[in-house]
Amino acid sequence: MAASTPKTWVRQPLGWLLLATLVAVGSAAVAHWRQPMAAAMLLAPPANFPAVVYEVAKNQPNEATFELGRMLFYDPRLSSDGRVSCGNCHQQARAFTDGQALAVGVAGRRSPRNSPTLQNLAWHRSFMADGGVRGLELQALAPLTSAQEMNTPLVDALAKLNTDPEYRRRFAAIYGPGQIDMAQFLKALAQFTSALTSTNSRYDKYVRHEPGGALTAAERRGQALFQAKCSGCHATDLFTDESFRNNGLNTSFPLDSGRAHITLAPTDAGRFRVPSLRNVARTAPYMHDGRFQTLPAVLAHYAHGVRPSRTLDPLLRPPGGQLGIALTEIQQQELLAFLATLTDVELLTNPRFAPPVAQARN
Amino acid sequence: MKNRTLSALLLIVAAPLTLFSSCKKDSDSPDTTGTGSVNFTVQNVVPAANIVGVQPPQPLVLNSSVAVTPTGETFTVKTFEYYLSNIKFTKSDGTTYDAPDTYFLVDQATAKSLSFTVPNVPSGDYTGVSFIVGVDAQKTGLTDPITFTGKFDALNPAYNMYWTWNSGHIFMKMEGTLTSTNPTKPLTCHIGGYTGATNAIVTAAPSFGNSKLAVRANKAPTIALQANVVKLFDGPNPVTLSNFTGAHMPGTQSVQIAQNYGAGMFTVKEINAN
Repeated sequence: MAASTPKTWVRQPLGWLLLATLVAVGSAAVAHWRQPMAAAMLLAPPANFPAVVYEVAKNQPNEATFELGRMLFYDPRLSSDGRVSCGNCHQQARAFTDGQALAVGVAGRRSPRNSPTLQNLAWHRSFMADGGVRGLELQALAPLTSAQEMNTPLVDALAKLNTDPEYRRRFAAIYGPGQIDMAQFLKALAQFTSALTSTNSRYDKYVRHEPGGALTAAERRGQALFQAKCSGCHATDLFTDESFRNNGLNTSFPLDSGRAHITLAPTDAGRFRVPSLRNVARTAPYMHDGRFQTLPAVLAHYAHGVRPSRTLDPLLRPPGGQLGIALTEIQQQELLAFLATLTDVELLTNPRFAPPVAQARN
Repeated sequence: MKNRTLSALLLIVAAPLTLFSSCKKDSDSPDTTGTGSVNFTVQNVVPAANIVGVQPPQPLVLNSSVAVTPTGETFTVKTFEYYLSNIKFTKSDGTTYDAPDTYFLVDQATAKSLSFTVPNVPSGDYTGVSFIVGVDAQKTGLTDPITFTGKFDALNPAYNMYWTWNSGHIFMKMEGTLTSTNPTKPLTCHIGGYTGATNAIVTAAPSFGNSKLAVRANKAPTIALQANVVKLFDGPNPVTLSNFTGAHMPGTQSVQIAQNYGAGMFTVKEINAN
């Protein structure tokens, strides 16, 4: 609604007159007027989505800030060796993952974990595979400062921005004159990352009875199987309940204890965030450590590869049965067919989410 | 010297006023109207080497002073930073004044961080002070950190007293070198944690002894604090540094060291009336 209203304005002479007035009043006012599509998505989520968690009101969406966030997201100068931007590990065509088992940072350093997708972040209550980060703005600080990723202290990042005339000009146009500070930097980035929404897969159109929303018989059988066997964790149309669970990858977790790394609770050992399955066909390899190269390998794990441990999730311990989820070969094929309907081409190809043209040439 | 001259001058000017005002007031009950401010100075120290208990502690000099633990282990200090927050003043009748929004970052490498002022303290005679060494869970656990600007600037994650992978402040940071082992080895204490088993929030209440803190309108008494860096490892949970692998995150190690510095790191060296 908020996005459609301005568009009709533009077509009317009165709208242009208003626009001219707004320009005279100031660029901030114009920025409010030009709310990007994705902001409207956050303010009024689709019918099959819950309300967003992120407080959009405290970071009022506007085009200028979104574009600034996009510039920051794709700027490798924010890394210590000048080669790694957020976009290295979060590539649009892969639903903002990187195709690597473990993320690669400055000087080829490997992170201990697989790069997660960036989509529907405004619905997240916490961030990282272990839930250690509490908010969307804060999240950017983790890869920025990690020695294995961009390796830049926040104070250094702000210093770089403050010595760059283009950034100074763009920040000042939004936040007024003065030093670029932490809040401005993180809010601008969050306007871009929160706009990376996935709400228009074929599955979404199917459940909302929209054009282009047809599922085949095999896909519908896959959907029924999914409801019965997977939706206990991959719940709601976000396809995650945002809990932390042990899905039986190991019998003990000496290298990466997951949620227990944050809580220190032995009952949290081996528990990791349940990831969304949106665009899952594009985000290989899988699991927090990238151990499975393909989706069939993931399903095979649940069918007959689940390993026992004290914190193994109860849903993977059916009473009296084998550990994991009972799935025949045919059922696995049908589930794969259904999971493919969660691919959202709009997220993967929207040019607004691609590197800005000036930076793409680098 | 200069201060003394100034004080003497003030005394000459102020004495008649004092005499005048005392005509109207009972001299036993101090003027408790209005508010004053309280200055704090912090001197980080190490115990005098090898003469423990005999000589006064020596000022900490980064990368130079040799700190000696009660068991004779030695270390030098490269970085020593911590938060003092939630400052509370207590009167002899047990009533307290909680100074709102008091968050100070003390950094041995930054001279101006070694003194700070708490404004708007109600006038009165105070017999004690307490503060959190670190930051309360309410502020950093529940508040959005991007609001840490203005009067909360000390909490800005840009000061590097913040864990980005496990959202929360580092309450206390000491980095140095253990020099009593061969070879020497790095010594790292990054202390923090808010809840349950990781709760490292400790309150220090260094005694005033028999002194009083007289807060009056238009007066600014000073509490001179001393912080003994060795008390990280000495207290309810003595740490043997040769076996110590460092504290880098919220956890048991953090909690034990926090209990140590909460109990004995801070002492009130003196209270200056004005």
